Order: sequence, then structure tokens, then C-alpha cells
Amino acid sequence: MRKEVDARGEACPKPVIMTKKALDGISDGIVLTIVDNEVAKENVSKLAKSSGYEFKVDKKSDSEFYIEITKGEAEEANVCIPDTFKDMTIAISSSTMGNGSEELGKILMKSFIYTLTESIPYPATLVFYNGGVHLTCEGSEVIDDLKKLEEEGVEILSCGTCLDFFEIQDKLKVGGITNMYTILEKLKNPTNTITIS
Amino acid sequence: MIAKQFGILTFESTHHAIEGEKLFKSIGLDFKTIPTPREITSSCGLSIKFYLKDINKIKEIINKNKLAIKGIYKFWKENGRNHIEKICC
Repeated sequence: MRKEVDARGEACPKPVIMTKKALDGISDGIVLTIVDNEVAKENVSKLAKSSGYEFKVDKKSDSEFYIEITKGEAEEANVCIPDTFKDMTIAISSSTMGNGSEELGKILMKSFIYTLTESIPYPATLVFYNGGVHLTCEGSEVIDDLKKLEEEGVEILSCGTCLDFFEIQDKLKVGGITNMYTILEKLKNPTNTITIS
Repeated sequence: MIAKQFGILTFESTHHAIEGEKLFKSIGLDFKTIPTPREITSSCGLSIKFYLKDINKIKEIINKNKLAIKGIYKFWKENGRNHIEKICC
């Protein structure tokens, strides 16, 4: 099977989605995607890479890139994730996840933060406020995971007012201190924010 | 936790997992409570991720306290993919 996807003129993440659809539509064979810019070329290449498929890029000109992806007897692979997820903010407003049982809530929160370290792409920012700031301070069981995320470039921010309220400013173990202006800035894109409370 | 391979211990229920976590904490074991990897079960569940060197201690605690476990697995990553192998029970 050979399919051609002409994604010239399409805005991100459309070229990736079109390519993915074409790849999903064949059991094996070649998908040739044509894009007209560097970023789209990168994103389509990333899709091929993360799916474990061989691919070749042929730059015909500055506005013409041919990406030839060969789908073998491939294993099912990671679904393409739109670029917007890269700027995702996760707001954490409690040291437990959900209501019902505090004991369970603590474990769920630990689980959630561990899972963040295992899932790519990472969010851009984690914002902790109110009871959530206990997670970034001494005694928290998720410090290691948060440090790992920080090393990977995730911004970790704790609300200064909250640290002050709980009198734990000097116990902060990971990330920086922030104020409401920055918090609002991080949260104001509602399509790209998840709140865990 | 920094290592190439880990042990994963799964339980019959969330309550048993919480019980297990308490017991392992009480003996000062270095471990982590994590969501059960999808490769083991797709249902929601908690499991204990531990260093394989501690497997005997883990088994001892399980037997002593009659923890209702589901299985013990070896878990590792290769080329970005998770691999699972059942070790026992």
C-alpha cells in the first residue's frame, strides 16, 4: 500500500493528524506526507519516530518537505499528541486527589504525580496552591518525582501566600515560589489547564 | 528510584494495597506506590514498585501478614517500551 498525504497549507497539528489517519488506514506500506514548513516536518517525523516506523525526509525546497514513512509489521504505537499539550498547566489545589477518603486521596495524588513522570510529553507547568503546597514541601512523598519532572524542564511553582499561611516557606523542597499574578497567567488558558483538587 | 529493573507487586484490592504500603513503610523499605502498569492489568489499581534485591523481604512480609496479593512481576523498559514478566504467585 502507498498513500500520499498532501498537508501543504495545513496548520499544526493537522499534518500530524492526517498522517496518523493515513498510517492507521493501512496495515503496512508507505505513507508519503508533504508539508510546507520546518515545524510540520519535525512534528510528522516525531510521529513516525514515536510510532517506531522508519522514515526518510527529503527537503525539496524551503517550503516543500517530503516525509516518507514506512509502516512495517509494526507494533501499535503511541498516539500522536497535539502540540498544545506541550504548554499544558496542571493546577494542584490539594494534597489529596478527590473527595471521599483522605487516605485514598493521598495515594491517588501520589499515583497521579508518579504517572506524570511516566507520560510524555510532560506538562509545561505544575502550579500548587492551598493544601497542594504540602506536596512540594518537606515530608511530602512526591518530592523525588517532582524533582525528576523539574529536571526534565517542567516548571514547578508553589503559591507563596499559601506557604506563608501554613508557615512552611522554609520547608520548600522543589521548585519556586510564585504569586497570584503568575498563577493567573498560567491558568488563564482554559483549554490547556487541568485542575486536580 | 534509580535502576533498570524493578519488581512490581499487585494486590487483590485497593485495601490490600494500602495495607501493604503501611507494612512496607513500617520496616523502612525503599519502594513506591504506583498505579498498576497497563501491561499487567488495564483495570485501575495500585501496586508496589520495589527494588528486586528486596524481594525476599517483600515475600516475608506478605507471608507473615497474609497479604492478599495477585502477583509479583519483573518490570523493565527497553526502547521506551515497558516489559513485564511474571515472577511468581
